[in-house]
Amino acid sequence: MKNISICVGSSCHLKGSYKIIEMAKEFIANHNLEDKVTLGGAFCLGRCTDGVTIKIDDEIICGVCPENFQQIFEEKVLNA
Amino acid sequence: MINNSPFSLCTDIGYFSVNKHDEQLCGDHVELIEQDENSVVFVLADGLGSGVKASILSTLTSKIISTMMANAMSVEECVSTIAATLPVCEVRKVAYSTFTIIRITNNTEAEIIQYDNPMVILLRDGKNFDYPKTSTVIDGKTIYRSKIPIKLDDTFITTSDGAIYAGVGQSLNFGWQRDNIIEYMEDIFDREYTAKALAGMLLDECVRLYGGVPGDDTTVGVLKIREREQVNLMIGPPSDPADLKKMQTLFFSKQGKHIVCGGTTSTLTAEFLGKPVIPCLDYISPDIPPMAKIEGVDIVTEGVITISKVLEYAKDYLDENKLYDNWSVLPDGASCIARCLFEEATDINFYVGRAVNSAHQNPNLPITFNIKMQLVDELSKCLKQMGKKIKVSYF
Repeated sequence: MKNISICVGSSCHLKGSYKIIEMAKEFIANHNLEDKVTLGGAFCLGRCTDGVTIKIDDEIICGVCPENFQQIFEEKVLNA
Repeated sequence: MINNSPFSLCTDIGYFSVNKHDEQLCGDHVELIEQDENSVVFVLADGLGSGVKASILSTLTSKIISTMMANAMSVEECVSTIAATLPVCEVRKVAYSTFTIIRITNNTEAEIIQYDNPMVILLRDGKNFDYPKTSTVIDGKTIYRSKIPIKLDDTFITTSDGAIYAGVGQSLNFGWQRDNIIEYMEDIFDREYTAKALAGMLLDECVRLYGGVPGDDTTVGVLKIREREQVNLMIGPPSDPADLKKMQTLFFSKQGKHIVCGGTTSTLTAEFLGKPVIPCLDYISPDIPPMAKIEGVDIVTEGVITISKVLEYAKDYLDENKLYDNWSVLPDGASCIARCLFEEATDINFYVGRAVNSAHQNPNLPITFNIKMQLVDELSKCLKQMGKKIKVSYF
């Protein structure tokens, strides 16, 4: 089971948390990962300058944006 | 916990007017003077005719009466001053403005003085209450006076005659009589409604009966006796981390609801309470960040973006009130805070931490320390205008 948290603090929100959450939900549904992944929010992961910040298990990944989303999620979620 | 002293009660006041159609000025005027924390004078005046003339008459009347009453002068003096001051109408050769005065003293007694406006309706426990009146003639004008000890949830409804003419010859034959208004208000009454909500609903109904084209200036004022309700809102960590424990202890020692705003602030609060922060992922609307939950805190939200939205709602509430349908029902953070502060609270304590979030001091982000301070300043100003007692403490 993988735990993914997406930061919804002020800075990450402004940098597009909403879009990343939507993409993550879609990604999980498209790959039928509902039983393997839990998706949650985080209330500021302390990396405000380089959001959107997400946390996959214990690894913090900064600067997630729609452009690198596929690559990060394929690498860290699908093929991990 | 429940304090039965009269000082735990307060008066919630709301009023709205619509102009006679095609008129740019309202011939009705409401004046409100707070004598002290627990006493208020409310005056509704309806000037003869409509437009400029009526507006001048009613403005003068309500200003003179409210100022004189607030300075403890007698009704007799008020009435003769008005008679001597009002300009005389060229057409009708009279100086004339009807008025209703409701004075709440120490939140224990209501004094009602009425001259020629529709009689004030008092709902007690949501039902019409026929209060005693005595009539006096002052300068040839019959004036009705009442003194009533007030109770929790007492709701005084006052209107200009535009309200009872609503629908004459249109949707109703004889207009909307006082009895119909009583019936309508008894029907919709709910002790959770604010004075502003009740006044708005009654005025909307009048406008509806007029078919959207009011035949007369119409004003509705509602004074509702409610309990004081304290709400505490914390935003931002203290500038000196050593003050954190003090700030949190003071905040949580206060009675009433607790609202915590800000990511870092929530995390620190959760640590203080020894409970986890459980963020929620649901965006109700894409522009307001999701809320979170901490056991022991009533509302947990993100900080500046949410509060900016609350401020936007507050400004609108005091102005055109167009966004009410959003925040009065939506479950997002800003709407939850707006309902809590605008509707539930009478006394609001802000706990504002002045720590500078280094992560926010970034040219790529539209959040700065100054914005946060400005938001709290502006929001407390708006809340004061809504009649709330505000205390802001900085850490």
